Amino acid sequence: MPTSSFSVDRPLPEGVRDLLFADTAAWRGMEAVLRQTVAAWGYREITLPTFEYADTLATDVGAQIDAEMYRFFDRHGRTLALRPDMTLPTARVVGTRLYDYPLPLRLSYVGSVFRHEPPRAGRQHEFSQVGVELMGAPGSAADAESVALAVAALRAVGLPQFRITVGHVGFFRGLLAALALPDWLAARFREAVDRKAEAELGLLLNEASNLPPIARRAVLALPRLTGDAGVLIEAEGACLNATMMQALSELRAMAELLAAYGVADAVSYDLAEVRDLDYYTGITFEGFAPGLGFNTISGGRYDDLVSHFGPPLPAVGWALTLDRVLLARELQGLTLPEPTVDVLLSAHGCPDCLVWATAARQRGLRVEVDALRLAPDALWASAQARGITRTARHNGGPGMLIVRDAAGERTISAADWEEVARWQNR
Amino acid sequence: MAEPLTMALPKGRLTEDALAHLARAGYLPPANGDAGRKLVLDGADGRLRFIMVKPSDVPVFVEYGAADLGVAGLDVLREAERDVYEPLLLPFGYCRLVVAGKAGRPDQPLRLERSPRVATKFPRLTEAFFRKRGLAPELIIMSGSVELAPLVGLADLIVDLVQTGATLRENGLVELRVILESQAALIVNRASYRLRAGAVRELIDAMAEVVG
Repeated sequence: MPTSSFSVDRPLPEGVRDLLFADTAAWRGMEAVLRQTVAAWGYREITLPTFEYADTLATDVGAQIDAEMYRFFDRHGRTLALRPDMTLPTARVVGTRLYDYPLPLRLSYVGSVFRHEPPRAGRQHEFSQVGVELMGAPGSAADAESVALAVAALRAVGLPQFRITVGHVGFFRGLLAALALPDWLAARFREAVDRKAEAELGLLLNEASNLPPIARRAVLALPRLTGDAGVLIEAEGACLNATMMQALSELRAMAELLAAYGVADAVSYDLAEVRDLDYYTGITFEGFAPGLGFNTISGGRYDDLVSHFGPPLPAVGWALTLDRVLLARELQGLTLPEPTVDVLLSAHGCPDCLVWATAARQRGLRVEVDALRLAPDALWASAQARGITRTARHNGGPGMLIVRDAAGERTISAADWEEVARWQNR
Repeated sequence: MAEPLTMALPKGRLTEDALAHLARAGYLPPANGDAGRKLVLDGADGRLRFIMVKPSDVPVFVEYGAADLGVAGLDVLREAERDVYEPLLLPFGYCRLVVAGKAGRPDQPLRLERSPRVATKFPRLTEAFFRKRGLAPELIIMSGSVELAPLVGLADLIVDLVQTGATLRENGLVELRVILESQAALIVNRASYRLRAGAVRELIDAMAEVVG
């Protein structure tokens, strides 16, 4: 460590961070593979501004997200906001600019989003998302495509174990309508269901007067309506009205398609999922990985959003949070090595070495040229300190290179590209 | 045999009750019986692994998935505001979180206080309670012996847990308001609830049976 004085008093604000080499490499790697995956399903990427007018992003369906926006002023005193998610700006682009495009629209995006998390939650306020939106297509085929693509995305980023849990807001909304609880009780009921507080459901029912036994049974069955596609059959007994039946039949149609997509084993169902009940209008889903209590991917159908910005359009989509996928991969034992070059080359006093470096790079080799005029041993020490497994220098006669690696030193012809190609085996 | 579920247990007054209820539900406590120094203990039947943590840390262990399940008081849960499922309330660890002050303080509603200095181990719940009533409390966050604060003039009021009220009385304090009625709860990690659905459901049902 340097002994000279340096300042450590340069704090970062809460919720942001730097990513160093291995993390950045992992990030870019995941982005690349996700771009490829969603492109293969026909999704085209758009680039969105990092900030917009806060008023433009405000909708009455996203009260929660509205409270979490980072706001600041431009020089005319107008309030700007950092994008709290990518779906709102995407809906704005579609509603204001692409509304007469041939439908459906398949859009994808990659980038950071910014949210004030509650203090002490210890979460990042800036995090990276990759997401897709399928707009202009109602129905189970679009729902199934979105869920199947979510599974494909998590598989593509190499997450060994995960599960996507699918619910449908119609099921719980239908139940609430059938129960016709007073507002205060409905709010407590929903809150208990959100926490999966099974024991409290019974107590809350006691506060509701004149509930028919069938409704009571439906409420008490709710916590058990979670599991594989079998629950979509079981749940029929708990249906109290057409809204609930409709939700079930949409889920069943989607489940059949998911089997055809070959992703049924990665999907389970939860009819007691009530997150973001006000935002979504149909299916909702979240992806979970072992050991991580947060979702890695979340999405659903939100048919009411685009109409805030233009003509109404049905829409379904998801966003994957790279920060969490990376964490989930690490929890499952997958880490990437620090990115390094293939060879550290000493070119001091040897113009031909630079010619060789250029030729080697054209062949895909990663070559770092020593800039410190290091002597051979110092060159090797420098390489080792930075995880570079090989050094090369001249002095081996015309057209020759002295190569050093873990096996020792040897002299090779600078034109021995077969040998050099083997250096790329990483 | 499947990998055991990991259960975070609070070290202290809830430990014994939690283990007893689990045993009655058919989940055996650690074989060596000594929950003294070891922080990770395997249940005798291999179905559960226990980690012993500070009570206020249980929710975060469960939220982050370091434990699949946990037992925590509602007081700790509401203070921590962690994102976990709470399938069951358990019939032990009953206590209440109260506002207390010196016995001789003038008998006036809290809302007429100027900006009371309040000593507590529960800053979030305390702040929320006073703010809701339009007051701006000055919080003094302590980690023990909260009852002492009003006696030595450190604070006007305290917010603390009370079981019988004996400690308050002995220190010349009286209970003024109840913020929260608390008891123990079984909590579950959101991912484990789905990824270990079978084993988690089995435990919830077995515990529900015992709790009645």
